[in-house]
Amino acid sequence: MLGGVFHAAGLFLVAAGLQVVFGVQKILNLACGSFYALGAYAGVSAVSWVLAAGAPPPIFPLVLIAAGLALALVGPVLERLLSTIYDRDESFQLLLTFALVLMFEDVIRFVWGAAPHQLGDVYLVYGQLRAGGLVIPVYNLVVIAAAGVIAALMGWLLTRTRFGRIVRAAAENRRMAEALGVNMARVSARVFTLGMALGTVGGALVIPATAAVNEMGIDLIVEAFAVVVIGGLGSMRGALAGALIVGIMRAVAVAVYPEVEMLAIYVVVIAVLVLRPAGLFAKAVA
Amino acid sequence: MITNRRMFLKVLAGAAASTTTRLDVPPARAQAAPVQIGVLAAKAGVTAPVGESGLRGTQFAVDKINAAGGILGRKAELVVEEESNPKDTVERFQKLALQAKVEVITGGISTAVGLALGPVSEELKALWLAWDATTQKGVEETIPKPRYAFRSVDNEAEAVMASILTARRFKGKFKTVAGINNDYSYGRDNWAAFLAIMKKFGMNVTPVADLWPKLGETNFTSHVAALQQAKPDLIFSSFWSGDAPILMKQAHAAGLTQSTKFVLTTAGGVHESMKKAFTPEGAIMGYNSMYFEAPNATPLLREFARWHQERFKEWPNYESDHAYFTVAAYKAAVEKASKAAGGKWPTTEQVVDALRGIEVESLSGKRSYRTDHIMECSYVQGITTHKNRHDFVTIDPVDVMSTKQIQKPSGVGLYDWINSWSV
Repeated sequence: MLGGVFHAAGLFLVAAGLQVVFGVQKILNLACGSFYALGAYAGVSAVSWVLAAGAPPPIFPLVLIAAGLALALVGPVLERLLSTIYDRDESFQLLLTFALVLMFEDVIRFVWGAAPHQLGDVYLVYGQLRAGGLVIPVYNLVVIAAAGVIAALMGWLLTRTRFGRIVRAAAENRRMAEALGVNMARVSARVFTLGMALGTVGGALVIPATAAVNEMGIDLIVEAFAVVVIGGLGSMRGALAGALIVGIMRAVAVAVYPEVEMLAIYVVVIAVLVLRPAGLFAKAVA
Repeated sequence: MITNRRMFLKVLAGAAASTTTRLDVPPARAQAAPVQIGVLAAKAGVTAPVGESGLRGTQFAVDKINAAGGILGRKAELVVEEESNPKDTVERFQKLALQAKVEVITGGISTAVGLALGPVSEELKALWLAWDATTQKGVEETIPKPRYAFRSVDNEAEAVMASILTARRFKGKFKTVAGINNDYSYGRDNWAAFLAIMKKFGMNVTPVADLWPKLGETNFTSHVAALQQAKPDLIFSSFWSGDAPILMKQAHAAGLTQSTKFVLTTAGGVHESMKKAFTPEGAIMGYNSMYFEAPNATPLLREFARWHQERFKEWPNYESDHAYFTVAAYKAAVEKASKAAGGKWPTTEQVVDALRGIEVESLSGKRSYRTDHIMECSYVQGITTHKNRHDFVTIDPVDVMSTKQIQKPSGVGLYDWINSWSV
């Protein structure tokens, strides 16, 4: 169960990145999976450097978050590239963002090589928690807590700040927002960077527990889409609920009947598509 | 720019002339031209590190051959193409065979690709020496009696050896087992072979969980939780890629490595990632042929390990050995066939005949091809130890078994063969 929530934490961050970008730019950004993978690799490198420089190991989660955020600085550049297809057909958007996925795969191979990269034992710096015969690595709880904090921050950002109001207005009606004097180019760049940061930080945060492998992004995109379909396209709460459903469904399936691990998720996806085609948390369409 | 008919005819004549001159190359010069060796190496996805390792072994073999004067005086040259999905890889195979006209093609790791390449190799009469990937289910149907395709070692060889070692070293020390293997033929075949051999040895063990994450999975927290619940005495895994260290890390963090025994048939393929921090001592770990720190390492293996470490800052893994062997076997076969043909460069047919039953020195020692085109070599497995100069586990004591002991003989089913053992 907790394993499922841990998985859901990473999934939520990537799906949230997908959601904000879809909300404003209306593009389905396949490259969000690559951001996750890039974040993971950058996280490994950053923590290795910092530890080699003699920093105390317990600070590594901060280093990971910093690495994820630093990477997202490329966001505005990528957004400029994507901005050329905002008004084009969806198939162009999918093609271009998929091209980005392939390019990032090569970037990773070029920079980090083909072998898996990992952080030795920092995963266990925080020790383990023993509860009722179960041993839980404390770092898993740290990641879950971090994802929770980020979810709360996102909620605050979108509902309580001026930037959030503009983003929501832009998501509602792009042209109207522009007509009212919102600099859409700037908002788009910021939103995209935010979406990218969610992905890179997500990848960086989970890396101590796993290893960075090139294809980790592609695998996650597929699951992130399941999350988005379940939760409802463009909805933040949907991303959170969807990620939890997918994560926990998988954990339960693995424990009870491993053969249906993937099937279970897609049964939920199909059920949602049939019963609530817009997803659990989608806005009612007038 | 062709502007008129006269000009066009001139260009045409020129083109024709240049074609004729090319056809005019005297046979002596053709003989001295380099021998082109096609290579199909995976460069993306989970198989990328394995493909890379194979490519390094190939490069080392070719460098050595060229330094020693080439193959019958002709320098060897690599034409590298990528192994990806079956359809594209078949196209690249055809390109190598028909367009680049290479003399031999080596490479191939993925089962699906292997199944697709076999028939193409036969159809084009193009010599293909696979590194891996060609002894899975379905091979008997698609490449029933190969002539031009030379196949890799059986899928289950590592499971057979690991199971024998498990029976030898852990007998009476465990009652329940759990398997975590990738959800495709390789993972399933290995787990089934392990259980069959446990039964054959009368180990009297009960399987309490079998988990099937898909290949490429990077999060096993749910699987580890399921293992915690099942509380097996021994966990068997045939993971061979980046998933092996991830599983061990998450299992270690969940406290599974303290009391549970591990059998990791193929983790030697990513040995540098199996860090001491989370891989316990006392587990069985396997290398499907070459072990870079073999106690009885030949000078060739020592030279290769040094070359590899200097060039890539890594210790080599076993796929290099499969790849090295294919090139060394090709060279030996050409030389043998040429001798039989009175010193002339042999035809592909003659090379095929010479390859059958050929034995050469490879990185892991002597290796050969059976007459049914399947590789023979030695596998290395042992008990993991932390007593070494690296930050990852190595094995001590080291067990070596030949595929003559751990691979089913020609024409016999795996389980019939296992059942025929006298134990």
